[in-house]
Amino acid sequence: MAEAASGSADKSVQVKLVLLGEAAVGKSSVVLRFVANEFQANKEPTIGAAFLTQKCRLEDRVLRYEIWDTAGQERFHSLAPMYYRNAQAAVVVYDITKAASLEKAKTWVKELQRQANPNIVIALAGNKLDLVQPSPSASGGSAESEDEADDATATPGEEPSSGEAAESLRQVPREEAQAYAQEAGLLFFETSAKTGEGVVEVFTEIAKRIPIEHILASSRGGAGRPGAGSGRTDGAQGGVNLQENQAKGKDACNC
Amino acid sequence: MATISAHLRNFKEPDREEQTILFFSIPSEPKPPLTKDGKPPLPREGEERMEINAVLSLGVQGEEDAYAGKLYLLPPYLAFASVDRRSVRFTIPLCTIRRVERLNARAGVYALSLSLWHGMKIIVQLTTLRPTADLFSALLRDALKLELQVGRMRAVKAFSKTCYSEVLLSGSSPVAEGEREDGSLINSEKAGEDGQLSYHGGLGLRFKFPGDPKKLREASKTKLWTNYLKTRGRHLTLLRYPQCTRLVQVGLPNRLRGEMWETLSGSIFLRFDSPGLYEKLLEDNKGRVNTSTEEIEKDLHRSLPEYAAYQSEEGIGALRRVLQAFSFKNPDTGYCQAMNILAAAILIYMSEEQAFWLLEVICDRLLPGYYSTSMHGTLLDQRVFESLVTRCLPMIHDHFTEVDVQLSVASLPWFLSLFINSMPMVFAFRIVDCFFCMGPKVLFQVGYVLPPDEIPQRPYVSLQLRSILKINGEKLLQIQDDGQFIHLMRDYFSSLGESAHPDSSDPRARAITRFQELLLVSFREFAIITDDTITSERRKFRSEVVTSIESFSKRSAIRNLRSLERFTKEQVGFIYDALFKAVCVEPPPQPVAPPPSLLATKDAPEERPETRIELKTFRVFLSEIATWARDEKIVVNGFQRRVDREVAEHEFIDRLFFFWDSSFRGSLSLQDLVTGLDGVMFNGLMESIEWFFNLHDKNKDGYLTKDEVLTLSESLLFIFRFEIGDAYLGAISRFMSNAFEYGDALLPPAAEDFPETQIESNQPYLNLATFRMVILAEEALETFFETDLSASFRLEPVPLMDLPPAISSNGLLGGLWSSITSDDNKKLFHKFSDELGRAVGRHQVIHKPSIGRFTNIEEPRPRESLLTPAMRRSASRSSLTSPSDTDVPKSSSSLLAPTSTVEGMTPPPVPQKRQDRDMESIAESFGALSMVQAANAALMERTPFAIDDAKDDEDDSDLDSEVAEDDGVLDEVDAFLEAHDTSGLSDADKALAKDLVNAEPVE
Ligand SMILES: Nc1nc2c(ncn2[C@@H]2O[C@H](COP(=O)(O)OP(=O)(O)OP(=O)(O)O)[C@@H](O)[C@H]2O)c(=O)[nH]1
Ligand SMILES: [Mg+2]
Repeated sequence: MAEAASGSADKSVQVKLVLLGEAAVGKSSVVLRFVANEFQANKEPTIGAAFLTQKCRLEDRVLRYEIWDTAGQERFHSLAPMYYRNAQAAVVVYDITKAASLEKAKTWVKELQRQANPNIVIALAGNKLDLVQPSPSASGGSAESEDEADDATATPGEEPSSGEAAESLRQVPREEAQAYAQEAGLLFFETSAKTGEGVVEVFTEIAKRIPIEHILASSRGGAGRPGAGSGRTDGAQGGVNLQENQAKGKDACNC
Repeated sequence: MATISAHLRNFKEPDREEQTILFFSIPSEPKPPLTKDGKPPLPREGEERMEINAVLSLGVQGEEDAYAGKLYLLPPYLAFASVDRRSVRFTIPLCTIRRVERLNARAGVYALSLSLWHGMKIIVQLTTLRPTADLFSALLRDALKLELQVGRMRAVKAFSKTCYSEVLLSGSSPVAEGEREDGSLINSEKAGEDGQLSYHGGLGLRFKFPGDPKKLREASKTKLWTNYLKTRGRHLTLLRYPQCTRLVQVGLPNRLRGEMWETLSGSIFLRFDSPGLYEKLLEDNKGRVNTSTEEIEKDLHRSLPEYAAYQSEEGIGALRRVLQAFSFKNPDTGYCQAMNILAAAILIYMSEEQAFWLLEVICDRLLPGYYSTSMHGTLLDQRVFESLVTRCLPMIHDHFTEVDVQLSVASLPWFLSLFINSMPMVFAFRIVDCFFCMGPKVLFQVGYVLPPDEIPQRPYVSLQLRSILKINGEKLLQIQDDGQFIHLMRDYFSSLGESAHPDSSDPRARAITRFQELLLVSFREFAIITDDTITSERRKFRSEVVTSIESFSKRSAIRNLRSLERFTKEQVGFIYDALFKAVCVEPPPQPVAPPPSLLATKDAPEERPETRIELKTFRVFLSEIATWARDEKIVVNGFQRRVDREVAEHEFIDRLFFFWDSSFRGSLSLQDLVTGLDGVMFNGLMESIEWFFNLHDKNKDGYLTKDEVLTLSESLLFIFRFEIGDAYLGAISRFMSNAFEYGDALLPPAAEDFPETQIESNQPYLNLATFRMVILAEEALETFFETDLSASFRLEPVPLMDLPPAISSNGLLGGLWSSITSDDNKKLFHKFSDELGRAVGRHQVIHKPSIGRFTNIEEPRPRESLLTPAMRRSASRSSLTSPSDTDVPKSSSSLLAPTSTVEGMTPPPVPQKRQDRDMESIAESFGALSMVQAANAALMERTPFAIDDAKDDEDDSDLDSEVAEDDGVLDEVDAFLEAHDTSGLSDADKALAKDLVNAEPVE
């Protein structure tokens, strides 16, 4: 069974990736940008989790990302282990215009580092970069930018300072987040799902870090071992398992 | 997650009466408090409940359907259910009944005719013995009388104007079909021509309803419903006959949909009961900003964004108000993502007020716990769903287990958003129709078919249908991972509008859509899944789910601590457990984020709500950890021996609480507790002394006031209250007298002019160095501070409450023990055996010591005094004479000249190892002394306090004075002990206690 699971016919390597982060930071939008190169101004909040796939070429290899995009609201937190179990990669997203969202991102990183697959590759992504960039073309399409235009005509005096105003929306300095990422051993990016900036890079950089040989080896070796490649922890029953899976793999009090 | 809640533990299965109330969708009122003898209070006149066997029929010509069942009088409602609980039922507010007549029928038949406000008649034949029927009639009369008195009858007519069904029925001829077919403009036309009918309607009236009205066959559906409502009641008075369910299953007409949802779900009763509450909630909370409102704002533009109304302020505003009103009414639940989708969906069909109450019923009754902060209802139902799949579709289950696919990755969103964003809206709304009509089991039944399984064995499934399902079943069996599963489901959902049998030669078969097939299979194949199945499955898995949620919360609470301090994770785990237990026993107030007005700026990162415990809960918590924070009584009654444990209450514990409340919020978080415990549990001798000193130094100026010295002594006495022997009592009394001697000695000299001035209550009196010195003079106290204090906090489970029964010749009761399990039984048994023990004179109660260092009455030798005889005399005089004695202050003040104090001091005769330390302390106290002296030149008199009453003769010799002084203190101690001894032990009991503990230490 396991051979079919990850060593599928087209020789691509399956990588399970999970997106985590506070509500409305733009997780689903980042995925949508990566998978379909689209942006929707009003994406519905994710309930539970959404699932998407996308291939990613890396030198001579093709990676097939299986992306779990999770719900961001605090109370969905207890469901997250169901989605990040066996994940080989995680993108923890925050919103650079919301300081609190970085704090939440840190708790996710902490949890992943303690509870998830020990070899998991984690990337930290500060999203909505477009909001802090002085927009040369006043950017396109969304209702917000129209509002801005209205405001600008109403109070023309503020027009010249729009660049600064944009930068002042930023609540998380790039340096601060980068320093944190370095310290915690994470890949770090700033992205905009709206303009697409930095999005693909997140996934290609992760691809470079994934121990592909390892995954292939383990899938060739038949049933995967826990924590290795896309091998599944054995005996996990379906359904809602908040911690049984981890409890099995690790010790009883892995907080 | 920083909230700890025991509410999952406190869940109670509804009793029979509550189940009935739930079944009939009757708004539940909080239970009245029990009377003194633990029984529910007697119902008042007109509120008495009764159920009776009855046959229901309608006085309609040509319709011959009568149903046997039960009639329930549940003031202010009357309800009926047919024997199978399914075919026919109704719930009717009593205030809609205008007349009740006893029918003059054949002898032996007892029938009542109930006339409702709109003229419809219901006939119920009471099929019981005459007296029972009479009683029922009498109670019904009383209940109706009460309704008349409170004036609810009058409200019915006004309320009915808000219902669309009245519009349908009002016209002598039903509204022209063409009008309704094309959708959007009817409302305004209608309002123009018929002003007094201002029925509630949804956004769909203005923004069009989803789907093509022709395809949906709105006109014919509306006609069918109009006929049904004409004869079977409407809104508040709807009678549900089998035809009602059938009509719901083919899909409700758009305009009637909202009203039918609220009628079928019972939320209409809530709206009827509390007119204006929705507006009031919004008015009262205007401008309020909290976590929920912020989360709501984030999602307003993310709720069915493709529907026109939600691209306009009108729709967004309605959605905002409904979600906010709900969160104001239910602050515990607040707002949960998915509720926005539900609310947006129902607002298409109903007014804000209707939607608000429907949301209330969904969250409270239909899907309990789904949207709560722990989402336990969701998790539980996912577990139940999975278990039912195992049972009904074993092949699918086995395959999923094999490839390790979790069913809930796909099914969880279905349940949470009632399929609304999983399948095309028109289909989802039809499932929602069934959901409100038939209850939550619908979600499970529909859920089963997805994955559609092969079910060829069932003979009544058509061959064609069977083969289709088989194909789907086979697809499912090929799935290798979660992703493929989700994909298959998504494809299936998006194809629901397609023909289920595209290749069939029969055009009628071709016309059947996959969606129809889905419903068919759901309700036929999975009719075995009943409300009872789900209830019992929920019961089965509840504790499993609760345990897993709780251990998840525990792990994340610990992970999210700012610091574990010096504890291991296991130790903090224990602190958490103790806290959790305390929260169960003594629930803290709801965790809330601080009010926004307290936040400095609007953009400041908002604090997450966290559980903070108040003093009451803290006492329970501490009793789990500190040995002296609980009163443990060993009860021996000749039949059994057990430990009765109670939470201690003392000012000392309260003091500790405020000491640990470093942010002055009047409450403690888990982090506060961990940090607080860290501050005491790792201390050596000197740190312990300092900790204890600081604990009592309220204003943190580095000095204890005289009152604080006294409180400190009381704290020590409290800790030692159950110790055996007089060692601690002696030590504390000597400590007190020494402390006062020193304190007085270090006071600045009294100014001659104000001999009467008293020490002010905040006058610095004793500094740390002096305190330390005085403590170290007592060996019992020294060991206490060296090891016992920190060791009295124990991070280990408190030993079990119950000891195995004493092996005695009276083995009779002991043998019974093993068969007693429940707490209540235990309590009863304890009481019983205590009484028995008392009767035979073998009942004894012994307090278990908290420290347990001394197991006999032998007392460690007091250290020699640190003071010279001269010092002692003067100091004792000053501390023990009453302030009214005018001569003394003068003489003592002269004696207490600071220089003489310093010179008169000799190094205390303490063992060598301790000497250096003490020298330091003394040196420190000298320094402090001169400071105090400089600051206070005036004569100070200390405040009088209890010990002063123990008058001492100042002319006594040193020795006598010392003894008498101790006696005085001891009297005080005795009085104190007496006041705090709740057990009312006799001396004999105490002596016996000592013997017993010495003979065979417990545990
Ligand atoms: N300006 C800007 N807006 C963005 C960007 N990414 C997302 N958004 C907007 O932010 C909102 C939330 O985006 P989502 O992708 O749904 O956020 P999410 O993290 O998936 O949210 P949950 O599913 O609730 O956890 C939407 O209105 C997006 O349009 C971005 O890069 N720039
Ligand atoms: Mg999302």
